[in-house]
Amino acid sequence: MICFEKVSKYVLSDVSLYIPKGVCVGLIGPSGAGKTTLIRLACGLLEADNGNVITLGKNPVKHRGHFGSRLSVFMSGVPLLCLDETVKQGFELIKEVYHIPEKNFSKDYSRLADRLGFNGFDSLIVKNLSLGQRMRAELGASLICRPELLLLDEPNIGLDEIGKAVLCELIKECCERGMTVLLTSHDMTEISKACDRLAVLNGGRLLFYGSEEILKSRYVPTDVMTVTLCGSLPDLDDLPLNRYSVEGNTLTLSYNSNYVTAAEIIKLILEQTEISSVDIKKPDLESVCSSLSEHAIIS
Amino acid sequence: MKKRNPLSPYFAYAKKCFLNRSAYRFDHLMNILSTCLQIFIFWEIYRALYGNKTQVDGITITMLTTNFVLSAGLGAVFCPDDYFLPGKIWDGSISTELLRPISFKGRMIAENAGNALFNLIFRFAPICIIAAVFIGLCPPAGLLHALCFLVSAFLGWGVLWAISFAVQMTAFWLINIWSILTIKNVFVRVLSGSMIPLWFMPDWMHKIIAFTPFSSIYFTPVQIYLGQLSFEEIALRCTIQLVWIIFIYAIGDILWKKGQKKLVVQGG
Repeated sequence: MICFEKVSKYVLSDVSLYIPKGVCVGLIGPSGAGKTTLIRLACGLLEADNGNVITLGKNPVKHRGHFGSRLSVFMSGVPLLCLDETVKQGFELIKEVYHIPEKNFSKDYSRLADRLGFNGFDSLIVKNLSLGQRMRAELGASLICRPELLLLDEPNIGLDEIGKAVLCELIKECCERGMTVLLTSHDMTEISKACDRLAVLNGGRLLFYGSEEILKSRYVPTDVMTVTLCGSLPDLDDLPLNRYSVEGNTLTLSYNSNYVTAAEIIKLILEQTEISSVDIKKPDLESVCSSLSEHAIIS
Repeated sequence: MKKRNPLSPYFAYAKKCFLNRSAYRFDHLMNILSTCLQIFIFWEIYRALYGNKTQVDGITITMLTTNFVLSAGLGAVFCPDDYFLPGKIWDGSISTELLRPISFKGRMIAENAGNALFNLIFRFAPICIIAAVFIGLCPPAGLLHALCFLVSAFLGWGVLWAISFAVQMTAFWLINIWSILTIKNVFVRVLSGSMIPLWFMPDWMHKIIAFTPFSSIYFTPVQIYLGQLSFEEIALRCTIQLVWIIFIYAIGDILWKKGQKKLVVQGG
C-alpha cells in the first residue's frame, strides 16, 4: 500500500519501507526523528528530494486530491473539521465531499459516535470542545469515509486512557477488514497493542522495522532497579549486573533481564539485609531508541 | 449504484456559508446600517457640492446617488473573503484542504457564492429599498438594460473575485498579507468609482483607469443600469470584463500552482 524506496527529505535519509495491505504499522521515535515528515511524504504533502514514494500504487504528489475516499489522513494540530460549525455539520460536509452513501454514513456515524463517545457533544460548535473531545470527533471524521489507507499522525494526543483503548480497538477492527494503517506515536505501550509491526526512526534513519517481539528480544536495553535499604550494604558481586551505584541508603542497579531476573536480585539482597522499598523501571521508548541508535552506530 | 453528482460538495459548502451568515443577526443589521450611513454621508457631501445646480457635466444628483447605492450595494454582495487562503495557511488546515478530493478553488468560489447569495437577498435588497424610499433612485434605463446590468454585475463579481484570488495566493510566500490586501482594497475603492464617481475624474486619470480592471467591477454595471452605454458598448465592456477575469485568474492560477509546489518542496 505504501512503498518508500531510499527516500530522503529534510532529516530523513535513505528510508526504505514497504507496508503491505491490511497491516498496521506503528512509527515510533523521539521528537524530531522524522515521523511527521514520513507521513507527509506518504500522503503527498511533501515531495521527496531523493528516492520514490508510492502510495496506493500512485505517485502521491501528482495524485494528491484524487484518491477519493481511498486515503484518509489525520494530523494532530491540523483541523479536520471546520471550527465554526457543529460536529454533526462537519460530518455532513465530509459525507458530501467524499460522496459517502447515506446508508453507510448513518450506520458508521452512529457506531463511531457511540464508540468514540462524541454523540454526547455532536451538536456543539467544534471550537468550543476540549482538546480530547475534538480529537475524538476528528478521529471519527478520518474513519467515516471507510478508507483503504489511513495515516494517523500522533492520534492519541489529548486522549484519556479509555479513548486510547477505544482507538486501539477501532484500528484493530479496521485492519481485520483489510484497511492499512500507518500511525505515529511517542507512546509505545499504547501503540504496540494496535500494531502488527513497528518502525523505529531516530535521527532520520529507519533503525528497525518488524514485529514488537523481535524488537524487544534483539534490542532489549537494561532494566533499572532502585532499592532503599534499611540495613547494611549487601554484597552483589556474583550477579551479572551492568552497573550499580550507592547513594546514602539507596542502591541503583541496572541489569539485562535476559540474564538475571528481578526476583533473583531481590532474593539475594534479602538474604543479606533488610529493604524498605523496591522500584523497577522497564525500558521506555526513549531508551529503546537510544539503544537502537547505539546498535546502529556500532553496526 | 446511484450516480454521484460531482457538484454536490460545492453546493454543500455554499449552503453552509449561507446558513452560517444567518447566525450572526446583530452583525448583519450593523452591516446594513453602516452601508446606509456611508451612502447617506456621500449623498450629503455631493448635495452640498452641487449647491443649487441640477446637474454637473450632465450628471444629475439622482444619477450620482444611484451610482453610490449600486456600488455600495454590489460591494456588499461581492465581498470575497480575502483571508480564506491566508487563514488556512496560518492554522495549517491547508494540508487537510489539499488532501480533500475536491477542488480548493472550486470550494473558494462555492463559499463566496453562498455568501454573495445571502448578501444579495438580505443586504443588497434592503439597502436599495431604504435608499429608494429616503433618497430616491433612478429606475433602470429599460428592461433590456436591467438584464444587461445583471449580467455585467455578475461579471463584476468575477473580476473582484479573481483579484482577491490572485492577491491571496501571495500568502504562500508572504504569509502575512494584511498590507498588500489593504493596498488592494484602496485601489478597488478609489479606482472603481465607488468612492468618487469616475465621471468626475480628470481625463488623464481616465486613461490610467482604462488600463486597470477596477472600473469593470462596479462602474460598468452602473453605467449600463443608467443607460449611458449603447448596446454595442455594453457588449464591448462585458467582453473587457470577461478578458480581465480570465487574465487575472490565470495569474492567480500560476501563483496557486507555484505555491503548492513550494509547499511540497519546502513544507508549509
